[in-house]
Amino acid sequence: MGADSGAGPGPSVPWRKVLWERQPFPDNYVDRRFLEELRRNEDLRQYRYWAVVREAGLVAQQITCVALFVTLWLYMEQGLLSPATLLWTGLLCALLGYGLYQALAPQADSDNQQRTRWSDLQSAAIFLSFTFGFSPVLRTLTESVSTDTVYAMTALMLLAHLVAFPYAQPSPPGSLSLNAALFASVCLASRLPGDRHIPGGAHSPSSSLHTFTMLCWALLVFALWPCLRQRLRERAPSGFGCVCVLMGMCGVVGLGSLWPGGAVLLAAALGAVTLLCPLLLIRLQSDKDNIQGPWDEAEIREDLARFLH
Amino acid sequence: MGQRRREAAVPSPPGNRHSDMLTVAPQVPAKKHNICMVSDFFYPNMGGVESHIYQLSQCLIEKGHKVVIATHAYGTRKGVRYLTNGLKVYYLPLQVMYNQSTSTTCFHSLPLLRSVFTRERITLVHAHSSFSAMAHDALFHAKTMGLNTVFTDHSLFGFADVSSVLTNKLLTVSLCDTNHIVCVSYTSKENTVLRAALNPEIVSVIPNAVDPTDFTPDPSQRHDDRITIVVVSRLVYRKGIDLLGGIIPDLCLKHPDLHFLIGGEGPKRIVLEEVREKYQLHDRVRLLGALEHKDVRRVLVQGHIFLNTSLTEAFCMAIVEGASCGLQVVSTRVGGIPEVLPEDLITLCDPTVRSLCEGLENVIARQRSGSVASPASIHAKVCTLYTWRNVAERTEKVYDRVAGQEVLPLDRRLVRLTTHCGHVAGSLFAFVAVLDFLFLLFLRWLFPDHLMDVAMDTTGPQGLWRGALDDRKGTRSKSAMLKNEKAGPHQTKL
Amino acid sequence: MQNGDPHIGMEDETYTDINGKAISLECQSHSGFCREFTVSSAKVSIGRVMVYTCAVWLSAYTIFFFTENTAVLSGAIIVTLVGMMVHIHFVKVDHETLLVIGSLGVQVSSSYASGRESTDFIEMDKIKDIVINEAIHMQRVIYYLCILLKDPTDPEGVSSVVPLFQSSKPRLNCLIKVYKSCQEILAKC
Repeated sequence: MGADSGAGPGPSVPWRKVLWERQPFPDNYVDRRFLEELRRNEDLRQYRYWAVVREAGLVAQQITCVALFVTLWLYMEQGLLSPATLLWTGLLCALLGYGLYQALAPQADSDNQQRTRWSDLQSAAIFLSFTFGFSPVLRTLTESVSTDTVYAMTALMLLAHLVAFPYAQPSPPGSLSLNAALFASVCLASRLPGDRHIPGGAHSPSSSLHTFTMLCWALLVFALWPCLRQRLRERAPSGFGCVCVLMGMCGVVGLGSLWPGGAVLLAAALGAVTLLCPLLLIRLQSDKDNIQGPWDEAEIREDLARFLH
Repeated sequence: MGQRRREAAVPSPPGNRHSDMLTVAPQVPAKKHNICMVSDFFYPNMGGVESHIYQLSQCLIEKGHKVVIATHAYGTRKGVRYLTNGLKVYYLPLQVMYNQSTSTTCFHSLPLLRSVFTRERITLVHAHSSFSAMAHDALFHAKTMGLNTVFTDHSLFGFADVSSVLTNKLLTVSLCDTNHIVCVSYTSKENTVLRAALNPEIVSVIPNAVDPTDFTPDPSQRHDDRITIVVVSRLVYRKGIDLLGGIIPDLCLKHPDLHFLIGGEGPKRIVLEEVREKYQLHDRVRLLGALEHKDVRRVLVQGHIFLNTSLTEAFCMAIVEGASCGLQVVSTRVGGIPEVLPEDLITLCDPTVRSLCEGLENVIARQRSGSVASPASIHAKVCTLYTWRNVAERTEKVYDRVAGQEVLPLDRRLVRLTTHCGHVAGSLFAFVAVLDFLFLLFLRWLFPDHLMDVAMDTTGPQGLWRGALDDRKGTRSKSAMLKNEKAGPHQTKL
Repeated sequence: MQNGDPHIGMEDETYTDINGKAISLECQSHSGFCREFTVSSAKVSIGRVMVYTCAVWLSAYTIFFFTENTAVLSGAIIVTLVGMMVHIHFVKVDHETLLVIGSLGVQVSSSYASGRESTDFIEMDKIKDIVINEAIHMQRVIYYLCILLKDPTDPEGVSSVVPLFQSSKPRLNCLIKVYKSCQEILAKC
């Protein structure tokens, strides 16, 4: 312990970073070793551009999904596609996708294939029957809400879907993102023609069928497709790239057929997310200045749950 | 500008000081300070900061300084209270926001704090804890009023996440024109210097202290047929309770005579309860729940080994208390802990289950072989290391140094804020400082200083408290008054 | 710091209240055991009443000028009259008196500007002590004189506090003078 101002005679002993010893230094003494344990950017990761692009592609994929879904809705809203056609296409897509999914399944768990297929069929049947049964109710759910509010809510929910989507582990999709997307589809379904006049003057025969179609497609696009995509990515990386590019082009072309301005915007967004943002991330890495030292809270790296389960 | 006073700045030799409290000499030594400690955290709240403020204040009063404490009202505890030795506590009615910390608008506390600073003739404001909004407010207002400021930081902060980036910015603003900063360990000093971008020369390291008479060993309380490991801490993530949940089953399986005694309460209690349930350790792992400060010693003396699993810690008084009770201390090597105890009194481990188990097994083996030092000898070593008198002496030196320094006038304060704290935050807080100054001018016009009655001195060179003890002539009435004020819960708000 | 001992006398002395307005303290010693302290604040000033009345009437006239509704004018007249009545009857305290009679009790009375008086008497055996205390009042910390009442269940405890001179709020030097004088009487009985 020493005086705060004006140290005594030149200390002959070296300073030590200990508190229990009274040292011949003032309390505000700054040693040469001050901050010697400071470390900078300790676990800085070096990214490679194309690897980041591949990861960012997942975000672009999800944006494309949203765009495709909105395109389908636009087609139905303008009466260009009948729900029956869409349902049949959906069924076809689902069967094709399921076949592909099974074909790409890892060999290890082929033993319990039978059981899985049966349970898959069960869940599909349950979902379809319940959705079909409840679609009249779902259709009227947001009917009394004004159209502007419904669109605003849809936009918000789709955005929430994009934000909350578990990009790191997309199979199965997170419950928050899936629920947001399904809610958005219910909102949109209530604005489909059926209970209102179509510009052509004809009444759509069944608006409940519209709702049912919307929900089925929502499930296909937001729940099943990410699972298949993930499996593709794991099992056939080369095919995955092609599928991604194809999907992106589909989305842009599909939207472009009804709303060219939107297609341009979508293409710009996809380009920015996949190509520009990774470039920015890598550029900005050099500006990173993270400091670590003994004051940091220690991290528990072990899996401590093993003691409990 | 807000400079009220320029105190004598000549440092006097320490020997010149009045050590004898009871002789209140008419010629007062020039270097006695009127100190106001400000923090959101004070009794009845319990914790390290609270006892630090209380003990430091008591020792400073003993040295003849005048000390008052300002904190926020706790429930019905509002107004002015007196503690031992005439330590006056202002419980100001400020709104509590979160975790016993007040909200800050930068302005609303000015009238009350100004009233306290003015009537108590405060020359030096000492704020405690970076978690306390009231402490930062007080620093800000004290600088506006032209008072010298000292800040004590009791905690460590990281740099990685958004919340720490924001709090560190606020700390930079708050400390950029504070005269002196006190940290409780060298690690804490490094941390604070980096967080607030300070000149390390104005940061002193003064450790916390432990009252050694409160923590004396008593080996007769131990059970000799078993080895007891004591843990006393709040059961929260930062105290590494998850690690403890991994250590307990591991060691209990290996050593059938090992018992755990765990004092404290918190959200992580469930982890320990689950472990106890799963491994059927109900008779060997005892969870005592929240402990009062006076009960801590009773728990500590029952153990052989004191275990601390904290993940971050600026100083860690618990291990000093454990060692003072004569226990073998095993602790994680984090924060300031390696600086606290000499190597022969502590076993340091990495913050992993394996390393802590190894460390504990070493100590258990030594305990069985009887090659550990006796509790009395450990206590004898520890009890001189950290005393409040020493803390007060060193803090007094900081005060002496600060009293001679200049408080930046408004123009230079603004320059300092804008150049030191970045463009956005600097300009913003420079603006706030100007508003604060205008508010102060308004308050001085509304309630002029000369209309505020100077508070009766209870501590300090001519403190009435001592007069009350002497029961000398002439102070009878005042001492009676003080006696009554101390006695009753009648500090009502008019 | 007002350390000087203000000597106790019979004459009027001028002090200020916490807002700096002049008040006067009158100590009357009827006998060794009976003292009366009167704190008088400034009288209602005619000028102030005029200013307030004029302000209300002028603003009422302005509103009347735009709305041409005569009810505003009569309303203003009623408001000023009622306001003044309420003020002098319930708000404005002309003087507060503390009468301490050793062995009997303490009488606290305040008389309003209208002449209305409200009086309260506390018996001596209920009184524990008379002290000066500190309180937080409107963003300030002030001193005030108060009577501590005994707790009937616990002879050492204090059940409640009766603040004195609540409306005049004299400053510490005035309070100390009253306090010392009261303590002399309390010490005797």
